Amino acid sequence: MIKVTLLLSFLVLITGCSIKDVQPWEKGTLAKDIMKNNGGNSLFSKFENHIYFSKEATKGGGGVAGGGCGCN
Amino acid sequence: MKFFILTLFLSSLLFSYQKGDTLPQDMQNKLNIQDNKIYIIDFFASWCGSCKKEIPYISKVHQKIDSTKVEIIGIDVDKDIQKGKSFQEELKTNNALTFRVINDPQNNIIKEFKPIGMPALFYVQNNKIIDVIYGAIDNVDEVILKDIKRLQQ
Repeated sequence: MIKVTLLLSFLVLITGCSIKDVQPWEKGTLAKDIMKNNGGNSLFSKFENHIYFSKEATKGGGGVAGGGCGCN
Repeated sequence: MKFFILTLFLSSLLFSYQKGDTLPQDMQNKLNIQDNKIYIIDFFASWCGSCKKEIPYISKVHQKIDSTKVEIIGIDVDKDIQKGKSFQEELKTNNALTFRVINDPQNNIIKEFKPIGMPALFYVQNNKIIDVIYGAIDNVDEVILKDIKRLQQ
């Protein structure tokens, strides 16, 4: 009896480890602004963009690298 | 192990509509389809960028085809029905959505078709799924028109 109970509880427990796939039609939730790293906060995204631009400045930041006057 | 993975993969396919499957009566009623026409069922949503790009092309097809022989049905799978409706209105004002649309906020219809990606186009003839196109493709209007010609032969 104990063995059966243990086996059953084990079977119930392992279902908790299963990962439910996100179906293609459920991706609307993932597309929401709130699902971004910054939670959709525009100030944070501005700040993050600034850091990204600074770090990647040698290759043009978020855009295309320009040459010449050095004003960028 | 290989067998196990293959079984898992196939079991997910078993419960969705595949090429060659016949639509059950309740699905035929939901979609309001009959035997004598070719139907093209397009699944889309407001958050799906490539669907938004594809819809004007499908509307172009809709304007070119003989509606007594071929019909296009759009299925909007937006869970927020208001969002879906305003998306459709926006398209309609630009004359980019001319075909019949069924709203599926509970996702009851798409859960049975289970496309592996969006947008998804299902071709249905005599209540049977005869072809499926997943994802946005270039010049989809020409592709659909060619397919219709081939199916009508």
